[in-house]
Amino acid sequence: MSWETVIGLEIHVQLSTKSKLFSGGSTEFGAKSNTHVDLIDMGLPGVLPVANREAFYKAIRFGLATGANINQTSSFDRKNYFYPDLPKGYQITQMTQPIVEKGSIKITVDDYEKEINITRAHLEEDAGKSIHDMFEGETGVDLNRAGTPLLEIVSEPEISSAKEAVAYFKAIRQLVTFLDICDGNMAQGSMRCDVNVSIKKSGDKELGTRAELKNINSFKFIEKAINFEIDRQIRLIENGECVVQETRLYDSEKNETRSMRSKEEANDYRYFPCPDLLPVIISDKELKEIKENLPELPEEKEIKYINEIGLDESEAKIISSSKTMANMFEAASSKTNDAKLVAKWLVGDISALLNKDNIDIDESNLSAENFGILIERISDGTISGKIAKSVLEEVWETASNVDEIIQSKGLVQIQDESILKDIAKKVVESNPDQVSAYKAGKDKLFGFFVGQIMKETQGKANPKAVNEILKDLLK
Amino acid sequence: MDKKTVTTISYLSRLKIDDEKEEKIINDLGNIIEFVDQLNDVDTSEIDPLANPLEKTAKTRKDIVTAKNLKKKLLEVAPSANEDYFLVPRVVE
Repeated sequence: MSWETVIGLEIHVQLSTKSKLFSGGSTEFGAKSNTHVDLIDMGLPGVLPVANREAFYKAIRFGLATGANINQTSSFDRKNYFYPDLPKGYQITQMTQPIVEKGSIKITVDDYEKEINITRAHLEEDAGKSIHDMFEGETGVDLNRAGTPLLEIVSEPEISSAKEAVAYFKAIRQLVTFLDICDGNMAQGSMRCDVNVSIKKSGDKELGTRAELKNINSFKFIEKAINFEIDRQIRLIENGECVVQETRLYDSEKNETRSMRSKEEANDYRYFPCPDLLPVIISDKELKEIKENLPELPEEKEIKYINEIGLDESEAKIISSSKTMANMFEAASSKTNDAKLVAKWLVGDISALLNKDNIDIDESNLSAENFGILIERISDGTISGKIAKSVLEEVWETASNVDEIIQSKGLVQIQDESILKDIAKKVVESNPDQVSAYKAGKDKLFGFFVGQIMKETQGKANPKAVNEILKDLLK
Repeated sequence: MDKKTVTTISYLSRLKIDDEKEEKIINDLGNIIEFVDQLNDVDTSEIDPLANPLEKTAKTRKDIVTAKNLKKKLLEVAPSANEDYFLVPRVVE
């Protein structure tokens, strides 16, 4: 029997506003517990929430970038449930009139592309944090996060494998970071996702019963959790059992999903329009302004890099795929005349260092300024590419200034022809055997002489000049 | 309105209903629903759902942090707290 997998994702994106969705509380991450809690976040009696317009603007940017409909009139509803980190006993969300509906995003998996439709993206407030393991018999509650604006992005159930799900999540992350509406920081929980998974017999029209996997916050775990869940469901059905519609928790340590019975029991949220909040209307003028100020998106950047700067397609793709990389490329390019060389170093040595340390370029010691200087020194011949590598490694470790490293370590390239000629002569004279072999037709030995000169000069000889001189000497 | 519905909604709203009052509450709630149900006689098929009866639109805020650190005061009025957290009976997933 062959099975088809049907997956839908709900991604919660924390919008990068300074203040909360309905209060003037700060959204700063990592503050001391309960220091960013306003009376409104606490849900104290008599307070009235007032919506943060910037959260709407950020949501609209997402809508425009995914070709979605923007509901210029959108309203809020209450989703009722009890949990200690939800002080009001309800979450304010957008059920009936979400700000964004019917968009789509392109994903790339291995060798194919696919368009995934986005059902809706709506604004809602985040809950606080429960701390279960710090107190004996009690749970601690930190409400700093309560009221932080989230954009919940709901996909159509059109994703057909764990790989596609990861590609979709990555595409959304890339987009929201380029749009500057979310910092994309997975470790800090700025993006979290719930995954709906079901299976059906190949060719069947009707969807199978789905299980919802909660709160997964890394690419790796999305893939593992889905694959585990697919196997579990296939095993159940092939054994003649049924999949139960339920919420399951992914345990990354055991690599398994398990039932969260507590949530199952009362899946009745009794939504109703929030009487505290009036519909929010976005004017045509506001919409037009947001449209005009939409930042350049990865695809546009890629095309620009290829057509205007002349990068290779593969270089352009790599650089435009991450916002921090694109920013670095553009900033460093503006400091030198050789954008192609900037790209070559970014895609080559710098990417290798980033992979090795498993960091993002904005977390590294390399500033755009310093990088620009490095490229300048290569193009003006002050240092060779080989020396530049060791300079880059030094910058990587210490964040020192490129020019200072070159000066203090005496790395300036030797360009002076008379000096190079003297060294070359010495090398040729002390290797008579190789010289006669070369002259007898062993062309490969040319590299041997270059190597010897480089050794003599600790790599500082200008390779181009060395080539010329050697050709002349060995004629 | 029956016993099962009342049990469910009292659980959802975390309200405890004493056994001796249960019969009366089932009856009262039934009457309330019946009264409100009269609204279903009105034909609303041509009318859009209403998010709010006020024919106004929302005033909104600029994205500015205005809140002060109220930690001490808020934790003081909580039924149970230590110096950093609100404390509640242990919730286990």
